[in-house]
Amino acid sequence: MFEEMATARYYEERLQEEYLEGKQPAFDISAGPIPGELHLAAGQEAAAAGVCRHLRDDDTVTAPHRPHHVAIAKGVDLKRMTAEIFGRESGLSSGKGGHMHLFDPDAGFACSGIIAQGCPPAVGAGLAAKKRNEDSVAVAFLGEGAISQGAFLESLNLAAVQQLPVVFVIEDNDWAISMPKERVTDVADGSRRAGGFDMPGVRVDYDDATAVYDAAKEAVGRARAGNGPTLLEVQVHRRMGHFMGDPESYRPDEDVAAAEQRDSIERLADDLRSEGVEDDELEAIREEARERVDEAIEWAKEQPEPDPDAAYEDVFVNPPSGVTAQEPDHELAGGDD
Amino acid sequence: MSGTDDRVAVAASGVWPEDVEDDETAVVVNWFAREGRRVEEGETICEIQIEKVSIDVPAPVTGELVAIERGEDAELTREDVLAYVAPG
Amino acid sequence: MSEQEQRAVERELTMSRAMVEAVAHEMREDEEVFYMGEDVADYGGIFDSTEGLLEEFGRDRIMDVPISETAYLGAAVGAAQEGMRPIAELMFVDFFGVAMDQIYNQMAKNTYMSGGAVNVPMVLTAAVGGTYNDAAQHSQTLYGTFAHLPGMKVVVPSTAYDAKGLMHNAIRDDDPVVYLFHKRLMGIGWMPAPDGPKTPVPEEEYTIPFGSADVKREGEDATVVTLGLHVHRALEAADALAEDGIDAEVIDLRTLVPLDTETIHESVAKTGRLVVVDEDYQSYGVTGEIIASVAEDGLADLEAVERVAVPDVPLPYARPMENEVVPDSEDIESAVRSAHDA
Repeated sequence: MFEEMATARYYEERLQEEYLEGKQPAFDISAGPIPGELHLAAGQEAAAAGVCRHLRDDDTVTAPHRPHHVAIAKGVDLKRMTAEIFGRESGLSSGKGGHMHLFDPDAGFACSGIIAQGCPPAVGAGLAAKKRNEDSVAVAFLGEGAISQGAFLESLNLAAVQQLPVVFVIEDNDWAISMPKERVTDVADGSRRAGGFDMPGVRVDYDDATAVYDAAKEAVGRARAGNGPTLLEVQVHRRMGHFMGDPESYRPDEDVAAAEQRDSIERLADDLRSEGVEDDELEAIREEARERVDEAIEWAKEQPEPDPDAAYEDVFVNPPSGVTAQEPDHELAGGDD
Repeated sequence: MSGTDDRVAVAASGVWPEDVEDDETAVVVNWFAREGRRVEEGETICEIQIEKVSIDVPAPVTGELVAIERGEDAELTREDVLAYVAPG
Repeated sequence: MSEQEQRAVERELTMSRAMVEAVAHEMREDEEVFYMGEDVADYGGIFDSTEGLLEEFGRDRIMDVPISETAYLGAAVGAAQEGMRPIAELMFVDFFGVAMDQIYNQMAKNTYMSGGAVNVPMVLTAAVGGTYNDAAQHSQTLYGTFAHLPGMKVVVPSTAYDAKGLMHNAIRDDDPVVYLFHKRLMGIGWMPAPDGPKTPVPEEEYTIPFGSADVKREGEDATVVTLGLHVHRALEAADALAEDGIDAEVIDLRTLVPLDTETIHESVAKTGRLVVVDEDYQSYGVTGEIIASVAEDGLADLEAVERVAVPDVPLPYARPMENEVVPDSEDIESAVRSAHDA
């Protein structure tokens, strides 16, 4: 777990640096080496690492718009994921998806930029496993802002009534962009929503990776044994704003300070030290993580950008003739030609 | 028109955020008045961006905007003159 | 006074500030007007669509809502049917999918299904458009989708002046109005706008009636019909074409429903050449509709037709691919040349 968490944290720190290149002093979203928006997950590592530790390659995970830490914990190809984020041809989606839309079927990973919309496909993966009598499971990650969305609540109900092998993991970072949790729900404990569907619900306090690991072990085990879904809520911190460029002027200073002080990685390191792990062992893990991340970023930046005409491919796997998207030829009609 | 000496400088110092260093670089994002426009004291006449935050800059006095020293996309620090207003 | 001098003395606003000014005015005038959406209060709208309104009107009237589009867009429908005048914002138009029933089965149809017994005087605002590499789920315009479904008036401003007048009209209109603002035109610091959308804006209120297209540039040789961001790309193309002696007329539709076919037909009668430019998908959309309307009523005037739109692919993320599929001024220029030379 420590390894995945250290990797994910350093990854986000490095992406932040890369993203801001060319964006100072004027922050122009279209400038710099990384295209588009960027939602970084520093402070949320415990949820992903603690859950994914129990998953196999044939288990399915769906993540939301803030997906990197989950992808890393699930074993997504780091180099190709990074190339995708940089919009390169060798990226997971050949540059078509970008950082909110990472797909790695070999690692059983997908994500969606639309709030809560990864939940129904996770239910579908669970349904497929059940129909095929396989013991694989599906996990849907979502933010606490997403628990007010119909797709989430409908998915809980469907998974429950069909007793599907699905685990729903709410990463509660307290903020839905600028909206604090208490202003969007009267039920602060999101895991209580499980009760409405008669499924187990467990909440894990701030940044306790070991507690996440224990809770997820039970939830994943329950799903794998065919005993139906579980809802977990893990309290985490948002350390880098909603997206890069978010001034967070709506957020109280003490809340930002709290996020900076509480660090799930340091907490896990303390836990490990108390179990006798030496500092230099932890540092060696961190060093290895840094090398792996630096190598992936370097590799990604060396990859070529996609050919513009690649935009016309992949709408269908089997393009029916006459329906394939084509570049307009500007001669669709006209008097004499 | 008033003499040059009467001109009042428009600077970002009055709206500079407390937690931002004086020599941090800001950028002019938008002007809402052109040279020659009559502006009212307190009216937003331009917008700057500093550390990703947009800040409105008001006219310091009522008068005519006689010169824009830093146009859109220009950089500035806390005490730099953005423009001059001739009071009246 | 010359146009230059006129501009010098007028206050200019970005499109977002012009929209906000109209909303604030209507809220002062009518207590039944309120604004609901995600991040519209403290944040002021992700694209500055409500900047500063919380300070003046407070949380009761500038309401942040949970991420529950079906509930709050539907609540706007219900409040409107009670006679209030809600403005409800979808952060990105691409999110309409999660609440489409409230939009097209309730908001758009309740007037008709009730035989006119109820009406739904609400405004649905939404940010549209690409050009900043946000990929397929955050870059669409979907102009044609909303305009296709009956029962909604559809507004697409391209300048600050138009944005304010159209917003006044939208709030006062007794029917549901979908007000689609292009992110790239808002004048946000972190997403610089092209030259053009920032215009002089009168401080007093004024309305721009729906169904009145605006000739943004007069010309004799070809008619370019477009909307939103592409008004400015078409004007840029027209400037380049003028250097080669091709005089393009640029028509900004401003509203898709109602559609001002008269202005288009008059222009085509003059130029004989029609180029329609759209940032939406090409098939079954705005380009086909405009061309069909001219073909129906003015076929004899039509010597050449071109359309420039997003080919039928979702919007890709990487810059070379997005630039390929979103029409730029050079694409418009070459389409006008083709029509002109036809």
